[in-house]
Amino acid sequence: MNLNITKLIPFAILSLPILLHAQGFQVNLQGQAQQAMAGAGTGFILDGSAVFFNPGGVSFLTENSISAGATATIGNTTFLDADNNSLAHTVSPVSTPFTAYAVYGAKDGPLKKLKFGMGVYTPFGSVVTWQPGWTGRFALTSMKLLSIFYQPTLSYKICDKLGVGAGLVIGTGNLELKQDLPVVDANGNYGTADLKGSATGYGYNLGLFYRPCSKFSVGLDYRSQINMSVSDGSAIFTVPSALTSNFPSGPFSSSVSLPSVITLGLADSICSRLVLALDVNYIGWNCYDTLKFNYKTTTSTLQDTRLPRDYKNTFAFRLGAQYHLTDKVVARAGISVELTPVPDGFVTPELPDANRVNYTIGLGYKFCSRLLVDASYTFEDFSRTDKNTALVLNGTYKTYLSAAGLSLTYKF
Amino acid sequence: MKSKFHKIFILSAGIIAFASCKPKLTLPTASKGRMDPSRYVAVGNSITSGFADGALYYNGQLVSYPNLLAGQFRLIGGVNFNQPLMPSSSVGVGSTGNAPFILGNSTDCLGVTSLGPIPAAASGDLSALATNIFASQGPFNNMGVPGAKAITVLAPGYGNPANGTGFYNPFFARMASASTASILSDALLINPTFFTLFIGNNDVLVYAMNGGAADSITPPTGMAGVGFDGSINAIVNALTANGAKGVIGNIPDITALPFFTTIPWNGLTLRQGQADTLNSVWQDFSTGKPLYNFHADSNAFLIADPTVPFLGQRQIKKGEFILLNTPLDSIKCYKMGTLKPIPNLHVLDSAEIAKVKTAIIAYNNIIKSVALAKGLALVDVNAFMNKTNKGIVYNGIAMNTKFVTGGAFSLDGIHLNPIGNAMLANEFIKSINATFGSTIPQVDATKYRGAVFP
Repeated sequence: MNLNITKLIPFAILSLPILLHAQGFQVNLQGQAQQAMAGAGTGFILDGSAVFFNPGGVSFLTENSISAGATATIGNTTFLDADNNSLAHTVSPVSTPFTAYAVYGAKDGPLKKLKFGMGVYTPFGSVVTWQPGWTGRFALTSMKLLSIFYQPTLSYKICDKLGVGAGLVIGTGNLELKQDLPVVDANGNYGTADLKGSATGYGYNLGLFYRPCSKFSVGLDYRSQINMSVSDGSAIFTVPSALTSNFPSGPFSSSVSLPSVITLGLADSICSRLVLALDVNYIGWNCYDTLKFNYKTTTSTLQDTRLPRDYKNTFAFRLGAQYHLTDKVVARAGISVELTPVPDGFVTPELPDANRVNYTIGLGYKFCSRLLVDASYTFEDFSRTDKNTALVLNGTYKTYLSAAGLSLTYKF
Repeated sequence: MKSKFHKIFILSAGIIAFASCKPKLTLPTASKGRMDPSRYVAVGNSITSGFADGALYYNGQLVSYPNLLAGQFRLIGGVNFNQPLMPSSSVGVGSTGNAPFILGNSTDCLGVTSLGPIPAAASGDLSALATNIFASQGPFNNMGVPGAKAITVLAPGYGNPANGTGFYNPFFARMASASTASILSDALLINPTFFTLFIGNNDVLVYAMNGGAADSITPPTGMAGVGFDGSINAIVNALTANGAKGVIGNIPDITALPFFTTIPWNGLTLRQGQADTLNSVWQDFSTGKPLYNFHADSNAFLIADPTVPFLGQRQIKKGEFILLNTPLDSIKCYKMGTLKPIPNLHVLDSAEIAKVKTAIIAYNNIIKSVALAKGLALVDVNAFMNKTNKGIVYNGIAMNTKFVTGGAFSLDGIHLNPIGNAMLANEFIKSINATFGSTIPQVDATKYRGAVFP
């Protein structure tokens, strides 16, 4: 007969959040020109970022190039709890996803149909920090996510009209999640959970590009699902001293599947100055069914975490336009509609996703034939009201997302 | 060209500045609907008073559900809500003069140290009970009195020490307006426009907490001061006499309280040798066979049961309860539950449980019909308790009715902790809103703690 309380404690870590930025993965901050055109770039080959958008089109690039760019991204979310009317804001810092691309091939000779490409980009990333003491802090206080993908690529122009390409994707990432635990010490301090880890995964990117005439082109791209596995995670629990044995800090492992994306892209020159481009993405979010954390040391209190996410496959539609104002200046604009993969009852505070409409604009400027600069700006304003089934967190999230970026390209 | 860039730059800067603003969401308007919170009085027992951890103390009173409700009523024009607060410096005091429980380590008779409820001090603050505070602090909006029953709310002189120890309520004596006052008459001093009434738990709980060996269940029918229906009707008639609207809570299934469910009926863990010894001790001497089948591993405790012929004892059955106030050292070291039965006082057996449940059903039917007849909002505390028993979640915090670990009940296993009070307050708000067309926001329960761990 023992009434030792600590042996009875069944607190579950209920609510550790997801690792990635839902449609945010598809925000397409992978090339300034494409960003300015709402992320369309699979059927419209502009520059080295074709390594990401369509490896099949890389062989159609006439010049070798290197480029680098970065996008300052800031997201602000406000939450209004439908039950208790409490308002909370995120106080997230600016994040700066970046890209670098290189394309090289012989300009003539037997190998002139072959191009080598290298892409380094940040396909998903997110920083969310909620204001201290907010009503959802037992679900999430902050999340930081950084990923860098490396993609060596080969592209071959089968004939004048058709190119194919393939890239190996090597993904690396870091993540950190924090939440409060509903255990309190005599000074009123709540426990915290802090999960950090790095992840790696492999995948591929296949593309086909077809240009039947100079006015029209079409592209098909398949980016594979990538299972990012966290093997060296570190879980740090800060709890009242009586509970330290219940919440043993230590290693954890986890894995997250990033979805496959199939994209069909079209581009059409309406006139010599104007090009319209359309991308349709089909995103295989069904792979994101459950989020698991396996702790090396479990207790009756700290069980392995299994969180249902139940994401659904979804579409995104991206329409962009490019207009040559002068020989040196191009203006770009676009609009995209991204359908949320998050079903009702599964919206979480680390990414209060919703169906989104994005507006984009941008400029390209040619300093000389070798040096180009491209700038873009993306704005999203979306909101969603949901009652999360597991957290019973009921309310409305409203988000502004703003991304301004710049890239430099040198051709040779 | 340059000016075009310039304009674009300004436009972009403007958009970026806009996007870095906080998105605005409009708060819904809080409205009072058909209720009037300007003079709110809460009538009830210890739960209403903010009693927790086995005692009445300042910090517990601050998070009493009526005080939390009053905080929300301020959003719709409610004003002052005066509670008979204990001194903030006082440790507090319970019904046996005890101090509140805190979680701490204690060493049992076996020398094993473990975490559990321990008294915060050797004694409670009896001096706080000895001083009447009505003249200096009254009248009071919170008329929750620890120990009050439906039948005692109307009792004049319920707080008169002249009645002698055991014949008055010292918690009410501390706050009563006069020696002849009743809880109800003092509640009416507020001339309430709105009231909450949550009374009747003790009409059955005191019996149950004594294992059915003391006190008695208030009969469902009978005149005011004797029966439950007469008393409830008299209380509600008086509170609504001036047109006040109100809300009434029904009685939860008290047998789901941690006080009853924490000590497992089959928590007697034996080794084979110990089981053999017990089987040889407890023999039917006419047949020479063991009376009980003790065996290795978990066994049912031995309890006193005067209805068992000759023996007056038996093994406890699944579904019967050993109460939280059972002295555990007696079990661990002094053979209680094995060689000596656990006394009746600490056991609620199936016959007693049946009586308790029957009474609660009858009370709740009465409460429901009174609510209907008088247009009161009804809080189905019983349904909420059953739901909590299975487990509820609030903004990521999981709670259930388990002792300490369930996160909703205080260390006495009867009363709520702060977040439990916030959850109860929200049940009242939902019911008020549904009945009176008001839009009172709920309490943000995440602001209130569960158990405090060392």
